[in-house]
Amino acid sequence: MVGGAAAVLVLYPIAYLIQAALSVGDPQARPPEAYGLDNFADLGRYAHIFGNTLLVAGVATVLAVVVGFVMGWILSRTNVPGRAAFEQLMALPYYVTPLMGALAWALIGSAGSGFVNQLWHALGGRGHLIDINTPWGIAWVMALFEGSVAFVMIGAVMKSMDPSLEEASQVLGAGRVRTMLRITLPLVLPGVLGAAVFVFAEMLGSFSAALVLGLPSRFYVVTTAMYQLVSQYPPRFPTAAAMGVSLFAVMFVMVWIYRRIVSAGNYATITGKAFRPRVMDVGGLRWSLLGLCVAYLGVAVVLPVLTIVYASFQRLTTVFPRADNFTLVNYATALSLDAVRSALWNSLLLGFATASLGVVLMGFLSWLIYRSRLPGAGAIEYVLMFPQAVPRLVFAFGMMWAWLVFPIPIYGTLWLLLIAYLTVFLPLGLRTISGVILQIDRSLEESAQMCGASWGHRLRTVTMPLLKPGLVAAWLLLFIASVRELGASILLMGPKAKVITPAIVESWFSTSSELTAAMAVLQTLAVAAALAVLFTVARRAVQHGGE
Amino acid sequence: MSEHSRSAVTRRGFLRTGALAAATAPLLARAPFAAAQGRATKVLDFQTGADVARAEQEGEIVYYGHDGEAGIGVLLDSFKKDFPKIKTSYVRLQTGALYAKITAERSAGRFGVDVLQLSDISPAIDFQKKGGWEVHVSPELSAYRAEHQSSPAGHYTWGGVSFAGIAYNRSKVKPAEAPKAWKDILNPAFKDGVTAKLAASGMQHAQWYVLRKLYGNDFWQQFARQRPKGFDARAQLFDRLSKGDDRMCVLAEYAGYTLFAEKGADIEFVAPPDGLPATAFFIGVVNRAPHPEAAKLFVDWALSKRGQAVYQNQKILLYGSLRTDAGPMPTGKRLSDFKLLFPTDWNDYVASHPVFVKEWNAIMGL
Repeated sequence: MVGGAAAVLVLYPIAYLIQAALSVGDPQARPPEAYGLDNFADLGRYAHIFGNTLLVAGVATVLAVVVGFVMGWILSRTNVPGRAAFEQLMALPYYVTPLMGALAWALIGSAGSGFVNQLWHALGGRGHLIDINTPWGIAWVMALFEGSVAFVMIGAVMKSMDPSLEEASQVLGAGRVRTMLRITLPLVLPGVLGAAVFVFAEMLGSFSAALVLGLPSRFYVVTTAMYQLVSQYPPRFPTAAAMGVSLFAVMFVMVWIYRRIVSAGNYATITGKAFRPRVMDVGGLRWSLLGLCVAYLGVAVVLPVLTIVYASFQRLTTVFPRADNFTLVNYATALSLDAVRSALWNSLLLGFATASLGVVLMGFLSWLIYRSRLPGAGAIEYVLMFPQAVPRLVFAFGMMWAWLVFPIPIYGTLWLLLIAYLTVFLPLGLRTISGVILQIDRSLEESAQMCGASWGHRLRTVTMPLLKPGLVAAWLLLFIASVRELGASILLMGPKAKVITPAIVESWFSTSSELTAAMAVLQTLAVAAALAVLFTVARRAVQHGGE
Repeated sequence: MSEHSRSAVTRRGFLRTGALAAATAPLLARAPFAAAQGRATKVLDFQTGADVARAEQEGEIVYYGHDGEAGIGVLLDSFKKDFPKIKTSYVRLQTGALYAKITAERSAGRFGVDVLQLSDISPAIDFQKKGGWEVHVSPELSAYRAEHQSSPAGHYTWGGVSFAGIAYNRSKVKPAEAPKAWKDILNPAFKDGVTAKLAASGMQHAQWYVLRKLYGNDFWQQFARQRPKGFDARAQLFDRLSKGDDRMCVLAEYAGYTLFAEKGADIEFVAPPDGLPATAFFIGVVNRAPHPEAAKLFVDWALSKRGQAVYQNQKILLYGSLRTDAGPMPTGKRLSDFKLLFPTDWNDYVASHPVFVKEWNAIMGL
């Protein structure tokens, strides 16, 4: 029933989207005046945009998965110094968000006014040293921030892996790198593939980096093209919807490949055999690995955050500081905006609700798909992956049409945003949790069952404790993803139900980089404060529970 | 400003504008206007057709608008200062998406909007055809020319004007190369360094239309060779121009120029002698509004001298007022100091919209 309800949650707006994609009459008419395939036939005109999208998404996915795997391996399987601290810090790029990263990298690497190029010119250089407004620049920024998602997904799987397999490989004479590639990688393949499928889909739907960095070079991807099509008058929903629906095909292929691979092999690394997670001693290599960790966090977090903070105190941002250029007016303006005052609170509230409800819902769905042996469980997974296939901006139109006519009056309220977030983040939660579920050998639950444990008891005493790393990772990902959500929120916000990220993008459109930077800093501080409070409360609760 | 309007704008442009509307609208408008005047009451220093006590009892206004978050904030806060018993809330989207949202809501039987402000006349006319505007003939319309009102009056009104010239970055463009006339934007020296707005912009449509009429249908095709970059809003255009990312902006709205020049940006505004393309925003009370009296009060306030001072003097908005008794803008200039170019045939202008969108998308590489 839960699977069916989740499927309805997804399919209800999708039906409206497909209806819009097939509309061939007045593009504004609801319901459509006539049906046909003209919108799909017309997509050939946008072949270059699909090509751009696949190029950027492909390059960024490869980069992000490499980052996620390498960082996951370093921090989960090696004795690199400061491992525990780095593991916590690895979540930071995700908090920073692609939007803030794109704004920062635009300031750092624009061909004309980028800080790097300003310094280059000051040193007598000609032309530009770097240009972030290229497909490679967009992929670089997207990969930096999705790399931490891949890390969380792959890292959770690596942590649950019995190290004896790697140790056996080394005892038999394999080197560390060979062991990583021949033993570790195949064993964490579900996590890596899950991360790759998820990140690729996330890249297909990525909006903010492509918007901030692509427009200045006339480089459009599917999401930015759709945004323009629906912003114009009259909005060209049918064309945008056809573009979105056509991405389903890409996503189906990705899910099919993932399922083929995971169903062909046995990836259980947590079995009835006891093990204690141990790390490999990599000797002198650990200092090089430490350098890699520092470098990644430097370009993904330190540099962008410092840039944004610096810009937020400037009138007109330039790399060379001038006393008369510093100001607090951006913060004064940002704090006076309703978008910051009330929307920030709404975003945090929604983040908490989405993460908490989402972990329960998505944990159950993951179990249903991979453990229940329920007929049609595979089909449910395909359905639940739909929201990942279509950019959230377009999905939001489907949701808007669907929930406008729904008899329960939640349109324009935070409830609709909560439903929207739970729907669009189903794939994120499923991928994160199912990567861990696949690692838990069925024999553990079956042993408990043989010992007479009920379903609930098994779940509480066997499955849930083993799933804990995956569930915690999923909660964190869902919280941050909700707070930074943009595409779906733009259209579904009501006059009294606003959230923060659309306001930041809107500020980038209509005010200045400096005010936008101040708003992004405030958002980041609020998220950091909220997480600090939540973790403190959770830690105290655990301590009290243990006493 | 290097070159401003030596040819004063004369309201000749306005009078040329919409000859048909100008001829018929006053006649159509007069009767309801007179009726409305009879019901008018004075509040603060303006006239309103609303029942102020009932408006305050309703206690709320839901506003849908296209201006930036900061601009809408300033506008609504100013209204709240005058009417503290009336709370305000808003939705902000670009005109295309905003109009799509309100029409989708209405077709689903949801009527949650009181006041609508659009930046493009095409959806404003379409909304009128759909019966979306409440007919409210504001007593303040007596300060507006007939051609700046819907036909018939009372559906929507031209709430203020924005206009655009050319702007360039002084450190990136040599004085000898600096543009002086519209044809200078075709100078190949500016290739890959030129910006404009995207097709979602009503102002971009107005510029495309009036310059096409002046210089011929192939003017913009020649411009396409410059490989212009398109953006959504004027702030983005001036932000980039100020930082030196681009050399020239061909849709340089005066309001954007003022804001960034004040921040110390090394930019120059050029008002070509042939004139400055101009467009208005359109505001009105929405039919079946949940707070109808508060909505009427807000629109009357927005069209009054008091509201117009906010639109015209707040630099984040800076819309020139079309009131016949309007004062100068904060820069000391009046609208009449500029030679403004409005479309002369509104029917032709609205009909040209699909052609514009297609051509402009192609020019911008979409």
